[in-house]
Order: sequence, then C-alpha cells, then structure tokens
Amino acid sequence: MPQPLRVIYSAFRLAMLHWIADPQWVIPNVIAPFVFTFVALTLFKQATGPFGLYAVLGGGMMGMWGNTLYASGFAISFEKWQGTLEEVVATPANLLHVITGRSVSNALLGLTNMIAILVIAAMVFRVPLGVANPVLFGISMVLTLLSVSALGLIFASSFVLTRSAQVLTNGLEFPIYVVSGSMFPIALLPFWLHPASFILGPTWGIDAIRIAAGQESASLQFWLNIIGPEKTFLAFWLDVSVMLLITLAYLVIAAYLFKMVETKSRRDGSLEHA
Amino acid sequence: MLISLFSEDTEARRAQTMTAKVNTTRGSASEKAVVAEHLNKLFKVTKGTLRRTKSQVVALKDVSFEVDYGELFGLVGPNGAGKTTTIKILTTMLIPTSGRATVLGYDVQKEVTRVRERIGIVLGGERGLYTRVSALDNLRYFADLYGVPVNVRNSRIKELLQFMGLWDRAKDRVETYSKGMKQRLHLARGLINDPQIIFLDEPTIGLDPEIARDTRDLIRKLVEKGKTVLLTTHYMFEADQLCQRVAVIRNGEIVALDTPSGLKKYVMDTSVVEVEGFGITENEVAKFKEVAGVLAVSADLSENKQVLKIQTPKGSEIISDVQQILKNSRIYDLKIKEPTLEDAYLRLVEGSVKEGSAR
Amino acid sequence: MNLLSPFRIFLSSAVFSFRAQFNWLYPPMWLTMKLAMTLSQMAFFVFVGQFLLATGNARPDIIAYIAIGNAIMAMSWNTVFAVVNITGDDKWGGTLTLLLATPAPRLPLFIGRAMLHVFDGMLSVAISFVFAVFLFGVNFGSTNALALLVVVFLTAFTMAGFGLLIGGFSFYFRDPMVFANIFTFILLIFCGVNFPIQALPQPLQYISYIFPLTYGIDAGRKAIGGATLIDISPLLGQMLIVGFISIILGYIFFQSFERAARKTGRIEAV
Repeated sequence: MPQPLRVIYSAFRLAMLHWIADPQWVIPNVIAPFVFTFVALTLFKQATGPFGLYAVLGGGMMGMWGNTLYASGFAISFEKWQGTLEEVVATPANLLHVITGRSVSNALLGLTNMIAILVIAAMVFRVPLGVANPVLFGISMVLTLLSVSALGLIFASSFVLTRSAQVLTNGLEFPIYVVSGSMFPIALLPFWLHPASFILGPTWGIDAIRIAAGQESASLQFWLNIIGPEKTFLAFWLDVSVMLLITLAYLVIAAYLFKMVETKSRRDGSLEHA
Repeated sequence: MLISLFSEDTEARRAQTMTAKVNTTRGSASEKAVVAEHLNKLFKVTKGTLRRTKSQVVALKDVSFEVDYGELFGLVGPNGAGKTTTIKILTTMLIPTSGRATVLGYDVQKEVTRVRERIGIVLGGERGLYTRVSALDNLRYFADLYGVPVNVRNSRIKELLQFMGLWDRAKDRVETYSKGMKQRLHLARGLINDPQIIFLDEPTIGLDPEIARDTRDLIRKLVEKGKTVLLTTHYMFEADQLCQRVAVIRNGEIVALDTPSGLKKYVMDTSVVEVEGFGITENEVAKFKEVAGVLAVSADLSENKQVLKIQTPKGSEIISDVQQILKNSRIYDLKIKEPTLEDAYLRLVEGSVKEGSAR
Repeated sequence: MNLLSPFRIFLSSAVFSFRAQFNWLYPPMWLTMKLAMTLSQMAFFVFVGQFLLATGNARPDIIAYIAIGNAIMAMSWNTVFAVVNITGDDKWGGTLTLLLATPAPRLPLFIGRAMLHVFDGMLSVAISFVFAVFLFGVNFGSTNALALLVVVFLTAFTMAGFGLLIGGFSFYFRDPMVFANIFTFILLIFCGVNFPIQALPQPLQYISYIFPLTYGIDAGRKAIGGATLIDISPLLGQMLIVGFISIILGYIFFQSFERAARKTGRIEAV
C-alpha cells in the first residue's frame, strides 16, 4: 500500500476507535440535524406530495454536514488537547493525510445519522422510502460523502489558524444548513446568497441525490432548460461533475492551508498548546 | 526472520542494515550526528483579553554544539532554560528564529522529512498519548505514520512492549496506566521506527527509582548498539552516570560544554562543606553568604532537619565560621566533600560565571 | 458588607461568569456568533415555512408564527445551554472541588451565575425580534410592549432555572455538554416553536408542559397580538410554578451531588 493511503487508513482507524470509546460525542454533532428534520417532518405532515422523503434526504445531508463540521473542525484541536499534535507532526507522515483519515471517518458517522433519521421517519411518520434509481442514489451518496470530507479538511486547517475554533464551529452550523438548501429549494433564498450555495460542493450533491431519488430538485429545471427535456440522467451527471470539480478545488485549498498551518505552528510553538 | 532491536545476533543486524536502507543513510554534512549552529529562538507572547499586550521571550540565544555518532550527549539546565526548546528544534517540531541545525547530516528546516524518518523522540509526560485507546493501538498508529514495514510492525510492537514490561497490559486503555507505565510507553514509541538517533527529554522524571534505573540501563544499551542519544535532564547524577559530554544551558545560553570530569574540575578549587543540624534558621543561612570566601550556600530547611551546603575554597578553615554562626543550633554532622557535577552545575547556573572565564 | 453576604456572592459570581465567557472569546467574535446563530436558526425554519407556503400547503400566518416562536426560543442558548455548560466547565476545569470547599452559600452563588445569562438571553430575543420585523416582515403593530417585556424576562428567568436543573443532574454524568445539547434542541420539538404542540402525538404533548418555554412562547404570541398582562397572567403563573420547581430540584441535585462527592471523594471524573 502506498504510504499516503496507509496513513489515511491508519488515521481513519484511530478515529473510529475513538468514536467507539466515546459514542456519546456523536450526539452534539448530529442532534441539530435530527431535531430539524423532526420539525420539518411535522410541518410537512400537513402537505400533499413526497415531502416526507424530501425532509429525510435533507436531514441526512444535514447529518453528514453537522458531524463533519464539528468533528473535523476540532480534529486538530483534539490533537492539541491530547498533546499528540507535536508527536504526529514530527513523523514523516503528511499532516494532511492524517486529518483526511479522520475526516472520512466523520463523514461516515454522519451517514449513520441519516440512517437513524430514515428509521424514525419510516416508523413514526410513516414516510415511504422508495427511490427511483438505487444505483445512482448510492453513487451520489458516496460522492457527496467525499465532498463533505474534503470540506471538513478546510475547516480543520482554517480553524487552527484562527483563535476561536469553537466559535466558528458553533456559528457556522446553522448558516450552512440554510445555505446548502437541504430542507428547501435554494431558489427561495435571496439572490445574493446563491453564490454561497453554489460554491458548496454538497449543495450539488444533495441535488444529485434528489434526482436519483426521483424527486424534484432545484437544479433539475435549470439543467433541463439547457440540455433539453427528459434528460434527467444527464442532469444527474452534470450535478455530480460540478460537485467533483468543487471537491478537487477543496483538496487543493486544503493542501495549501495545511502546509501553512504546520509551518505557522512550528514557528510560533503552538503545536503544543492552543 | 524476526529482526530484533535488542538482538545480539550480528547476522540479523547486518541483514537489518541492508534491508532498512532508509534508516542507515546519512546526509551530506554527515561527520557529526547533530550540528547546531547559532540557534536563536524568540517567542511572541500576548496577554490579556480586551487589552492585548505583546512581548517577546528569548528562549534560545546563540546555541551551538555538536554531537558525535554513537555518543551519549547530555543537555542540563534548570526548568525553562531552553532544553526542551532545543530538542524541539532538532526534532523539527519548532522552527528557529535564526541559525541552522543538521541531524544525521540533514538540515532540520530544509530536509524535514528525511530527518523525521530517522529520529526517535521521547518527550514523555502525561500527555502525548491517545488515552482512550490501548497501548497497542497507539503504537500501531505511530508505526503506520513512520512507515515501519508492515511485515515487521507487529513483531516489533510486541518486542518493545515486552521489553518495557507492558505486554500483559497492551490491550488496556492508556488512561488506566500509571505515570511510570505511560513513560515506558513513550519510550517504546520513541523506538518504534528503529531510529539512528534518539532524543529524550527528561526521560526519568517522575519515575520510581527502580524503573528509572532500568530506563538508564536501556539508554546505555542503546548507545552500546551504536545509536546516538541526546538527552536532557536536571538530575546531575544521571548526567554524570550516563553522558560522555554535557552541555549546561541557562537562560537560553550554553554556559559550559565538557565531559563530566572536565566540568567538575571547574569547581575543583572549592570544596563543599555539608552541615547537618537542627535549629538552623534562614537568618543564619544568610549570614553565611556574607562570610568572606564563601562562594555559594544552598540550604534545605525542613522541620526536623536542616542541611546546608557551603561552597568555599577555604576548606576546613570554614569550620570556625560554622561554629560561630551556628552557636545557637545543634550540629549533628559536618562533612567536607569533593565537588560533584551538581556543585559545578549550581555554580554555573546560579553564579555569574561562564566556562572559560578565569577561576 | 459581610463577606459572605448572599448579595455580594451573587454579584461576584455574575461578574466571574462574564469574564469566564470572554476569556476564550473576542467580544466581536461573540457578537458575530450570536447574530449568525439567531438569524440562521430563524431563517432555516422560516424558509421551510416559505416552501410550504409556495407549494400551497400552509396558511399565510405561518411565517409570523415560526419567526416569533424562534425569536423567543433564541434565549435558550444563553439560558439552558450556557448555564449547563458553566457547571460543566467547573467540573472539567477542576475548579469545582475548590468551589465546593468554600463556605459560600450555594444558592446565591449559582443564581448569580445564571443572571448574566438571563440578560444575555433577553438580548438575543430582542435581536431576533429585529430580524423578524426587518427581514421577514412580521407585523408587531398591535404589540403590548409591557406585556411582552414581562413575558420575555420571566421566560428567560425560568429557563435559566431549567438550565440549573439540567446542569444539576448532568453532574452525575461524564459529559454535561451532551445534555446541554439534547435539552436545548428538543425545545424545538416540544415548545410550540414552529408548530402548535397539538401537532405532536398525544402522549408527547404532556412533555411540553414541563418546559417553561412552552408557556412563554404562547404568552409571547398573545402579547404581540395585543393581549394585556392580565390576559396572559394565568400562563405566566403556570410558567413561574414550573420555573421554581426546576430551581428547587436543581438545587437539590447540586446539594446531593456535593454530599455524594464528599463521601466518595470523587468529583472531577464522576
């Protein structure tokens, strides 16, 4: 196995071991999405149409977000509290790879939140959970997961560069749920917020997921106007491509930020204490 | 074939040397294991919440020294002198403000990865380990980060844990470990990549005497195997016992660098008069400082017993001063001793002298 | 003034809370976070409401309903969450042992700490009302200002008491932060913030009545609709009863925790 992959896997494994040791810490990370979805489902109960599934998918998306934001935001801070950041930096492994492993485990755990939401929705709200195209659905889920992980890397590095990681993490959670259009079409948002929605890879991801589920999605009409009607399949892949491009950009930015984080921390001795 | 770090089998060692290329190559400037040249380190410190004040702390000032291959080198000094800062610079955890350093011939700023591959670091302490997982998982993680070949990884981990006496608790969470066990785990981790040079920061601090002694034996054994070791300590007897050469650092500057006996010669002109008594007060200790010919006085005043150490060239002539000043106290014992490394250290660190200045 | 006088302790613990909060937080950062969180929480649910409205699935007054509910709920971050965390911080910070070793009477101490958060909570509500009016077009034209002020103050106060209750019982667990999160967020489900509690399944509705916020939001909506203090006094009365029960229970929990800790000698890592 090439070394970077080995490092990513090992960091992933360590992160999972930590989750198993303290499973209760998933709760703060996913409670907001869980509760927001519950509220949305209650509100949507009075509506006619496949709103139930809409809410469930949105909630799952938010679950992935929430966990990534919190856990990745604190990824580097966690190492500082344990006192292990110095030791990890002093290894020949690239810090970016180390945190990537952790970030992937976070996104994966966010996925379990989605499953919990799905189960509650099906049992309590009797939401029918059929999706139009299961294969495309699966693909879009996995790719969105990767996009969210990549964004987590940017959070992990930039939160270390600023003094108040905790403030940012708390403060960013709700805005992201609003801007990413998880629970309502972004068309409802004021126009000046739209750019913010579009640079978020997962916005495209949730869109692709909805198309695969056979739902109405925000971008569907937009794509179909360009490529012609009935080409839902193509619209799906267009969404996915945009998301992948954005994810690539995230990785490049993250790599740069990590280098900066490491050099700065080594220069001012902040590897040891916050 | 099991490749052991501690094996006497020279065949195995030769095979290890051949297969583990990474660990035995050296960089260009490779005559010395460690070269530190004019290292300076300044830290910016900000205080306050609403009104922030900035200031600068000088951690290291023009620190230069060299360490030979296979040497056991000591860096001693009081807390806050700059020992840990020096180690962190040499192990790439910290970037110096100016100056350069090479480890195994590789520059610590320009060839960072090569340095990191080949060194072992033991900072020790209560932190620095993942306490919510087991010792085995900790070592496995770091083995992966260091790129320890997968075929030797598990056997090496087992060997290290067995040697450190932690094997039967290997699967327990590190948070259940005692301080001594954690320190031993730190040591195991420091050796996980079979490094050519090992940096130890106060390796025996807080350990029970037997474990501390075993640790020192281990350090000696590592050097016997051809490794280079740089350790910091503030136990003088430890530096005296183990190190071939010792650098004394005070307030970020190196004030002396010599073999232990070389440093002791430095206080050869003085004897240390040790007085053990009862009823000795601080007042009386202060009076000693005013006696002509007394270079330094240190006192350990506890309830039941007080011990004074007086450094003076006067030797037995001081006895009359002792009797005079302590006439109201009881003297149980009085010894005149040969100066030790600790005395030399105290003089260097508390006094205002540097090595090389006239005695 | 007697050194141990309740008032002095009350005052100094409020100031301490204030300083403690700012220790890790720049004031501008704190303000930004406050604004961002209150606005985006409201925005999230308002837009869900808009979605329903646009698809013909809701009545037009849904926006005002949601906005006001979230505005009043906004204080929960300062009251419940912050109060639980203060006690959590103490435990983790290791200062709890020292604190319990002092002879200071407990009640003024803890109430002092909570008061700062009550006023902070009221500030959050005020900011949220501003957002509701200027961003989401909610009409405050017929508001009975005095009634609304009283409602907001009493709700914040009783919710702080509720925070003390949760804080008290979370002492027994390892991570008070987890409790803080759970009990603040579930308010969104049970207190009539985004939908009337009648929308919940019958058995769950009973749970709504243990939260002071349920009464507060109801009274708040009425006050904004023009109701007088007299009209809403039954609701306020019920809220105060629930609030005082919480404070007393919280106090009992603290005392029993202190006694248990003294017996077993373990505070820090219960």
